[in-house]
Amino acid sequence: MNHFTTIMKRELKLGFRNPWSYSFLTLFIVFMLSLLLINQQGYASGYSGITGLLMNLTLYLLPLITLMLGSFSLTGEKEDGSAALLYTYRLPVSSWLGGKYAGLLIVLCIIVTIGYGVTGIISSLSTGGFAASTYSLLFLFALLLIMTFLAIAMLVGSLAATRWQALTYVIGIWFFFIIGWSPIMIALLGQLPYLWIKPLLTVLTFVNPAEWIRVYIITTLGGGTIVGPEYYQWITWIRHPSGHFAFVLLILGYTLGFLSLAGWRWKRGSQRG
Amino acid sequence: MDNMHNDAALAMSSLTLELDHISKVIGNKQLVAPLSLSIAAGQIVALCGGNGAGKSSIIRMIADLSRPSSGSIVLHGTALHEQRDQYLAELGYMPDDYQFTGSFTAYESLKFWAELKQQPVNRVRELLELVGLHETGKKKVHQFSKGMRQRLLLAQALLSKPSLLLLDEPTNGLDPYWMKRFVAIIDEAARGGAIVLFSTHQLQVAEAAADYIVMLDQGEVKLSSSYEQIRLQYGEQGLQRAYEAIFWGEEGAMERVRA
Repeated sequence: MNHFTTIMKRELKLGFRNPWSYSFLTLFIVFMLSLLLINQQGYASGYSGITGLLMNLTLYLLPLITLMLGSFSLTGEKEDGSAALLYTYRLPVSSWLGGKYAGLLIVLCIIVTIGYGVTGIISSLSTGGFAASTYSLLFLFALLLIMTFLAIAMLVGSLAATRWQALTYVIGIWFFFIIGWSPIMIALLGQLPYLWIKPLLTVLTFVNPAEWIRVYIITTLGGGTIVGPEYYQWITWIRHPSGHFAFVLLILGYTLGFLSLAGWRWKRGSQRG
Repeated sequence: MDNMHNDAALAMSSLTLELDHISKVIGNKQLVAPLSLSIAAGQIVALCGGNGAGKSSIIRMIADLSRPSSGSIVLHGTALHEQRDQYLAELGYMPDDYQFTGSFTAYESLKFWAELKQQPVNRVRELLELVGLHETGKKKVHQFSKGMRQRLLLAQALLSKPSLLLLDEPTNGLDPYWMKRFVAIIDEAARGGAIVLFSTHQLQVAEAAADYIVMLDQGEVKLSSSYEQIRLQYGEQGLQRAYEAIFWGEEGAMERVRA
């Protein structure tokens, strides 16, 4: 068995033996069922206020949980001495971080799949449930958020020395990307000449995965106009025939970019002291 | 014939761990003064000294967990900082500050390490038996006593039958029976050709196990000698008396002997 698979298998075992996973699963199912009940009170197909609410609540919950579980997984290894011990093994950083990333990704995806699965089954049995196409895109939205924010979590975990330090970074990143992004953009871009705003916003959106994944899903759901004229360029790209392919490349590039940064930082951190 | 002789001698002489003027300085503080030591295959060396003597700093440099401020480390002709992978393939390391937090059993923990070192499951069973943990079943490691955890870490270090066994305070938490077993286990590893280097503040362990003693104080070598030599110089309980002579002076040592 190669190193990558060994590390990934261990991460899976640790993930499913961690009480945190079950708390998160319970929270996620309760959250999804609540949204289903809201949806049953007034349903519209495609992008609607309810799907927007579902997306926003997913945005609040998933990146935070992902950032915490991912970064704690790495800092925990530092705190308990496991990282130092494994550094004396012939273990490439790529196998170590890649295995941990893959293991955590599977754990989180299984939790979210169970959450969506339970709600999906109940939804299909009841009247006023979610439309399958909308529901599938929302599920994809959750998976993409996990994928990108887990890569950011790997970088946080390689930068922070302890879980407490990681928690500080995580709260900061989460607040900046999820809560503070819109007001910060409005405040910053409002100071600039009007003609600069649209191109700058188009470029700055690349920084925040929560934002471009959200724009992509909303556009695919047919609600492109809802995000506003400032995102015109993004919507045009996404609607282009090669838009989906470009989006996949962006996701992969972003994830691999953060993982590479995490690997570089991890290697550098190990060689110090 | 002469050439064959020379080759054999060369091969034997290269089976060593060579520490050449390794030191560790952080800021203005010297943690380890330049230290040179040559340890041959089959030798057991104990690094002794009190808290903050520099024992763990030396072990960590040899395990490549900390880069020396100066000097070089060469194992069997392989320089650590030039051929790291080759060097690590020969290393078995037991850390001092390892916390078991995962919910794994002894078997699962050792199997994980064994897979990373490409060792078969049989080796895992063999080692669990060697360190007396083969009957712990489903008990999780974080429920183990300190001594049991130390034994599991020792098994981890022995996994690949390393030619350099580095053990940081391996006998902490071991009861008298397992302390004796520890001596027997590392003795067997040394007889198999391994270089064993361990740190301890328990002089009786160093006396029972080591062929060679390095005594440190505040990063400086105060004594570097074979145990036989120490015994000849200081008599019975020679290491204890050498320790007292070094740290409290000859007078203090004699007073304690008289008392």
